[in-house]
Amino acid sequence: MTALNPRDAVVPAPGRGFSALSERQNRVLVLVAKRLIQIPAVLLVVSILTFWLIQVVPGDPGREVLGQYATAAQVHQWDVQNGVTGSTLHHYLHWLGGFLTGSWGSSYTYSEPARGLVLGHLVNSMLLGGVAFVLLIPFALAFGAIQAYREGRRTDRAVTISLMTISAVPVFTIGAVLMLVFCVWLKIAPVQVGATGSFFYRVREVLIPAIALALSYLAVVARMVRTGALGPLMSPYYRTAVLKGVPPGQIVRRHVLRNALVPTLPLLGLYLGAFLCGDAVVETLFSYPGLGALLVEAAQHKDVLVLTDGVMVTGVVALLALLAADVGLILADPRIRFDNRQN
Amino acid sequence: MAVSIPSVSSTAAEGQSALQVAPVNAVSARRLLALLRRPTFVISAVIVLWWVFAAIFWHVLGFNPNALGAKTLAAPSWSDPFGTDELGRSVLARAMAGGDTALVIGPLGAILATALGGALGVIAGYFRGIVDTILMRIFDVLVVLPPIILLIVLVTGFGASTPSLIICIGVVFAPGIARIIRAAVLGEMGKGYVTSAKLQGESALRVMARELVPNIWPTLLIQITLSLASAILMTATLSFLGLGAQPPSSDWGLSISNNLGDIQIAWWTVLFPALAVASVVVSVQLIADNIKEVTSQ
Repeated sequence: MTALNPRDAVVPAPGRGFSALSERQNRVLVLVAKRLIQIPAVLLVVSILTFWLIQVVPGDPGREVLGQYATAAQVHQWDVQNGVTGSTLHHYLHWLGGFLTGSWGSSYTYSEPARGLVLGHLVNSMLLGGVAFVLLIPFALAFGAIQAYREGRRTDRAVTISLMTISAVPVFTIGAVLMLVFCVWLKIAPVQVGATGSFFYRVREVLIPAIALALSYLAVVARMVRTGALGPLMSPYYRTAVLKGVPPGQIVRRHVLRNALVPTLPLLGLYLGAFLCGDAVVETLFSYPGLGALLVEAAQHKDVLVLTDGVMVTGVVALLALLAADVGLILADPRIRFDNRQN
Repeated sequence: MAVSIPSVSSTAAEGQSALQVAPVNAVSARRLLALLRRPTFVISAVIVLWWVFAAIFWHVLGFNPNALGAKTLAAPSWSDPFGTDELGRSVLARAMAGGDTALVIGPLGAILATALGGALGVIAGYFRGIVDTILMRIFDVLVVLPPIILLIVLVTGFGASTPSLIICIGVVFAPGIARIIRAAVLGEMGKGYVTSAKLQGESALRVMARELVPNIWPTLLIQITLSLASAILMTATLSFLGLGAQPPSSDWGLSISNNLGDIQIAWWTVLFPALAVASVVVSVQLIADNIKEVTSQ
């Protein structure tokens, strides 16, 4: 799923020393350039699918906003103003033109411009998701590495069983338990997480939701790191490095970690996108004004414009995160080629 | 290992040399026995069966999830083991009756996802070329959005009735299953029996339905069990987000979000439904893992 188009291949040209280095930079540039053409195409398809699906919604948005006491003429005027008259194709083109030029329409429920609403909530989500991601990575690497070093032994099995159990627990259960312990019984964190105050204050506030989010993804990432680390640990180059007396820290960094990252990075790209766009469940649980919670609310109130714009923004963030993961993949493993699908 | 020619019935192989494929019934009996020897499987199965039993027979057992009691927000006690909620309804009765939506929509959604994903995967793997490319491209677009966001869009489009929720769950999980089935079919396509069937002049539909599907059947069954836990979880998540079951349903996910406002004064109203969902999802996952391990032995 990282290679959206199998033919965006970069012609492999073997190089050594410095020429290999510069070639790698070229390949990053080529990948970025190709994706910059591809991403809008994918987004266009996403927008058509989303728009078509949401327009299936029965009901008159003008009537919904103005209430039952508005006259038919008022409803019609509102519909014309918001571009919801005529065919679905007409709506779509009206919306697409507006979206591309930055006028994203206004929210029916909030009565304010959708753009500020969506982007403001996206920033909140990015803070929560970013903190969760920063918490997730070191723990996943540590658990995965410990398991790989102790492969097949009791430690490995114990960590696997406990992580898999935690990951099967729904995130709202993890969140509710954490909320009970830290926010209700210990009273060291707020039950409802706001989005005001200084940066450090906000990071402290989102800590509990971020832990809940990171915990629910920990097992899968740790599992991937374990699988990735097992290969290098059994390889001749690892044994050689140990036997010739390379310091352990250097072995882990240069030989084990780098190879262990290769299978993990595409997964991390997918999760980074999901984290930064906001997890609807965690945000709803902690009443946090993030993009995921906003989309849920928009779906409940049939706030079509906010929903469509929000889904598009989610798509952009997710695709950019995938691109970042692919760039990371090229930097971690120069042998990686995106010329054939891995599945 | 599955029989490679469907016409060879399970009894035909009986009593033949050890190299022959073992009778299907004996194999499944041996696997069932191996499963029953695993404590995690037995405990998980008991938990799941308990919730299914509770969801079907709660009214027979004398529980009423909607009876308003005199004591509101009462702490757990002998008369109300799980306490009461803000309307005085017994949390235990609501937990007993609250599994119905998740336990209906989850399994049916998983079966639909497997049927849909299986069909598309077989078609993509059989025809390859342009059909394969188009299907895979569509799946690429579907995985761009996080699953829950895709689900929100689908539920907004199709509505929150039980049949439409089953369809939404099926559509969300189908692409992942289609990829796995496609890979399995690509592996089968190189084998002799497919070539012979084609040379015999069997139609594409017949080759897919009568030759390929029986051979990838174990993979399909495992996909149903593996997606079951996620499907139940997704159903509960949708109810939690207010996009599934609607009040006054005693659905677990809905109960959690409805009682969230009371968490500081009545933790039991949130904790027990949350634990109920978790027990089902973890158990189903463990059952799936056990089945997968036993069948791969």
